[in-house]
Parts: sequence; structure tokens; C-alpha cells
Amino acid sequence: MIYNWKKIVRYGLPLLTLAVIIELFVGQLLHQGEEMLIEQLSIFFISIPVINSVGGNIGSLLGARLASGLHVGSIQINFKDKRMHEQLITSIMMGLITYLFLAIVIYSIGLFSITKMQITFIPFLLVILATGTVLVCAISVISVFTAFISFKKGIDPDDVVAPVVTTLGDILGIIFLFVFIGVGI
Amino acid sequence: MIAKEMLKQSLPLLLLCGIGGIFAGNILGLMSSLFQTIPGLIVVIPGIIALRGNISTAFGSRLGSAYHLGVINAENIWNNELKQNIIGSIVLSFIVSLLIGVLSYITTILFFDITPNPYQIIGIVLLAGMLSAVLLTTLTIGIIYLVFRRGYDPDNITGPALATVGDIITMLCIFGSALFIEVI
Repeated sequence: MIYNWKKIVRYGLPLLTLAVIIELFVGQLLHQGEEMLIEQLSIFFISIPVINSVGGNIGSLLGARLASGLHVGSIQINFKDKRMHEQLITSIMMGLITYLFLAIVIYSIGLFSITKMQITFIPFLLVILATGTVLVCAISVISVFTAFISFKKGIDPDDVVAPVVTTLGDILGIIFLFVFIGVGI
Repeated sequence: MIAKEMLKQSLPLLLLCGIGGIFAGNILGLMSSLFQTIPGLIVVIPGIIALRGNISTAFGSRLGSAYHLGVINAENIWNNELKQNIIGSIVLSFIVSLLIGVLSYITTILFFDITPNPYQIIGIVLLAGMLSAVLLTTLTIGIIYLVFRRGYDPDNITGPALATVGDIITMLCIFGSALFIEVI
């Protein structure tokens, strides 16, 4: 038998505990902004899961590709690696396209589901695009660093990159969103 | 060349996951009034979503590896390897849910001058955590079974599939648990 539930719990618990503690800070940030988000800017409130899931997915995707590249040897641990650059830039580009498309969908749904829309489309789109762009850039860079460092230390990047980028992505996503809401409105 | 391949294979999945996020966001919007009647409830949301995402993705990817190692397949899926994985995921969900409940209660008192009802908050997190654990574990096994039957590589399917439906199911579990605990 390969798997044993006690081992699964023992190996899983430390990283999960750390992730949950960071997520509690995300929760407290939301708590801090609760009044503004729920009463005044609910369109941004319903955008939060989208911002975070797209960011986390792009980071995990890039991480998985880098991990395979490092394992196979087509990518070297070098910040000037051309293949790495190309994947990094493509990830950021995909992020922009995705956020643009989803912002339009969210706003269209919001027009029906939110009784009093508190913001017009252009400022909403700009805040989401600014948040998304900065978030995807940050997450992609974190993904490259995490993949390189873990691989160098002999740890499989496949095990590390996804939890690291999704957790850090959640906290950065909320912070960037609050910053750009503050700047834009 | 890489760019073209990445765009073709990954962009549709990203957009699909984003649509899943929109559903999750709208459930969050529906819960707005509950956040006002149950102080501290908003704090547990990111924790439960992250817990669910991490545990079920790891469960899915272990089953993928188990398939590649030849220990489970379409004819022999309900065996001891799978059972150990299920018990592991459920136990982890229980411990970490309890942790989220207790820590949210403590940090809310520390950071804000609000004292949530500890039984209410911990009850909601435990109920939502266990409910989503059972639902998503069952769903993952279902997906894996279908993927085996069709002969696809589970590594390419389970991750995105769980990312898309996982958040929606988890949000529904939190919503349901909060409504239930608020009533009793």
C-alpha cells in the first residue's frame, strides 16, 4: 500500500496551517472593508472570487509549465532564459485578456442583479484591469522565483508553486483591489 | 510558438474558471445580509475556500499519480488506497476547519472590538468544511472514474474541473451552513 491517511494528514497539515493563517489576514482585510464593499461598491465585492481565482490559476499554470520545463531540461535556472521569458509574457497577456472579458461579463450581470449600481462601466473596467494587471505580473514573477528556488533545493516545484501562488495571490489581490478602488474612486 | 500553444490550450480553461468565479461571487453577494447579522462571518470565507481548494486539488493530483503508478484504475477504483486518501482528506478538513473557526474568532476580537458568538462561527465553519469535503471528495472520485473510463490523463482534467466547480460548491456550503446555524 502506498497511501496512509496518517501520512497524508502529517505532510499536509503544516503547509495548510500556514496557508489558512495567511487567509485569515485576507479575511480580516475583507472585514475591514466590509462596509464599503457591501453597502457602497457591491459590484467589486462579487468580483473578488474572480480576481483571485484567475490570478491563482495563471500562477499555478505557469508554475506547472516551468516545473515540467525544469524537469525535462528545456528551461534553465537563469533569469535570462528565453523560454521562461516567453511563458512569463504569455501568462501576463492571457491574464489581461481574461480580466477584460470577465469584467464585461460581471458588469453585465451586475446591471440585472444589483438594484442600485453605484459606479459606471469605464471606472469599473479600469479598476479591474489595473488590479488584474499588477496582480498577474506579481503572481507570475512569484511563480518563477518559487519554481526556480524549489527546484534548486531539490523540492518538486509541482508540490510547492500552486499553494504558494494561490495563497499569496489571495492577499495581494485584495490589497491591490483596495488600492485601485482608493485611487480610482 | 510556445505562446500560441499556451493560448490555445489554457485560455479557454482560464475563462471557464473565471465564469465559475462569477457564480461564486454572486453567491457571496447574496450572502450580504448574513454578513451583517453574523459578525465575523466574512472573515472565514477566504480560509474555507483556500482549505477546500488545497485539499481537493491535492486529493485529485494524488489520485492522478496513483493512476499512473497503476494502483487504481477503472476496474479497481474502490480499494484501500482510495479509502486511505478519502480518510486523509476528511481528517485534514476537520482539523483545519476547526482551526479556521477558532483563529477567526480570536483575531476578530483582537483586531476589531467585536466579539462574535464562538459557537455560531465555529459551528458554521465546521459544518461548511465537512459538507464541502464530502461533496467535493465524492465529485472528485466521480470525475476520476469518468476520466479513467475514457482513457484520458487525469492530471489534465481534475485540476481545472475542480477549480471551476469547487469554489461554487464551497460557497453554497458556506451559505447553507450560515443560514442553518443562524436559524437554530
